[in-house]
Amino acid sequence: MSEPAICVDQLSKSFGSRQVLHELTLSIPAGQTFALLGRNGAGKTTTIRIMLGLIPEDSGTVRIAGIDPTKDPLKARSQVGYLGEDQTMYGWMTALELCRFLAPFYRTWDMAWARDCLARFDIPLHTRIGRLSKGQSVKLGLVVALAHRPPIVILDDPSMGLDPIARKEFNRDLVEHLQTSGCTVLYSSHLLDEVEAVADTVAILDRGRIVRTGTTDLLREEVKQILLPFDSVAGTPHPEGLLDVRRHEDRLVFITDRAGSYVEQLVAQGIDHDVVDLSLDEIFEAFVIGRTQDWPDKPANPVATTI
Amino acid sequence: MYIRIERGVSTPISRQIAEQIRAQCLAGLLEAGQCLPSVRQLAKELVVNVNTVVRVYERLAAEGLIEMRHGEGTFVLQPSAAKDLAAGLKQQREQFSRDFQAVVRRGLLLGLNVPELRRMLTATASDAKSQISKENRSEKSS
Repeated sequence: MSEPAICVDQLSKSFGSRQVLHELTLSIPAGQTFALLGRNGAGKTTTIRIMLGLIPEDSGTVRIAGIDPTKDPLKARSQVGYLGEDQTMYGWMTALELCRFLAPFYRTWDMAWARDCLARFDIPLHTRIGRLSKGQSVKLGLVVALAHRPPIVILDDPSMGLDPIARKEFNRDLVEHLQTSGCTVLYSSHLLDEVEAVADTVAILDRGRIVRTGTTDLLREEVKQILLPFDSVAGTPHPEGLLDVRRHEDRLVFITDRAGSYVEQLVAQGIDHDVVDLSLDEIFEAFVIGRTQDWPDKPANPVATTI
Repeated sequence: MYIRIERGVSTPISRQIAEQIRAQCLAGLLEAGQCLPSVRQLAKELVVNVNTVVRVYERLAAEGLIEMRHGEGTFVLQPSAAKDLAAGLKQQREQFSRDFQAVVRRGLLLGLNVPELRRMLTATASDAKSQISKENRSEKSS
């Protein structure tokens, strides 16, 4: 296995007294499409801004294609195509003017490729950017982010503000032009249905911490909802990967990570149970807002039923 | 080849695609020798990760339903008797498991508890076993 394209180790960052990243660690192999999932304010954009060398880290290390973006931001950025959330471009330029303006900043700028893309994306060359539709300007942003043909692409919530059809088109471009050409893609999002189809691996970021990383298939395999009759809870062990617990009438309904081995235990003990498959949305929710304090440690005394 | 992906459901996308291609192969909608769309084409069409499509094709190739010929494309295979049998068996077992689940569920809803169901299963299984072995013996002797 070659060196990962993006490597983040124990990254921490505070703004004033507020710590926004807590010892973040992640590693993205070359050629992978990696999705960073998190609610607003989870730290996605901060992580990306540090990767690009736009703001310094407090501690920890970041390597982009082996380069330290804090020490050598220009070199790191030459390896990366970046599309920010709500990227603003000069509204008074036309798409073609913007390409001509940006070209001299990059040694590897591929004008033929850029013009080809603009044509394919149906972006009018001679209309002022300020008058393009939201979908067109996001696509233009993607073209100018990729025209220097970087091996690594970082997209910060690229489909925000796009309508469903434009989002699908955008994702199709991502699959067609980036995945098939071997680019490493890191993108942040909170649109889980779309992420699931497009990403190889997802990482769930919650309040500055990565709470889970895995392929989407693996997450679905390992995170399950389990239903137990409340009476039999006394004999069962506390699930190691417990994420969420609720009680519905006479049943305990909970979501746990590493469900496989837990279910094996239940089977071995002959405890009656149901296992429910979850969607990525439900898995995300369990990691981010799941409550685990209601696990009944002493379930003997009958409590009022919570609904 | 028509494939419809439902997003936001609990069935993983790779399984949705594999199940639909498998069903179309077994039903003969996709005929032997027919060329499937390339990985890139299908990924683009369905807007799913390229590697997901690769995994699906590899899995179906391992099941003997399709063949990935290097540089030529992916083709539907003539379902040979053995492969057919294996695929059919798997499908039937899956169907059985669904039937079984439905029966158990019905029993629970009718107020039978799990130990009772377990006793019924044990009794039924031993009856069925002796019956099957009796049938086998009479088949051999005849």
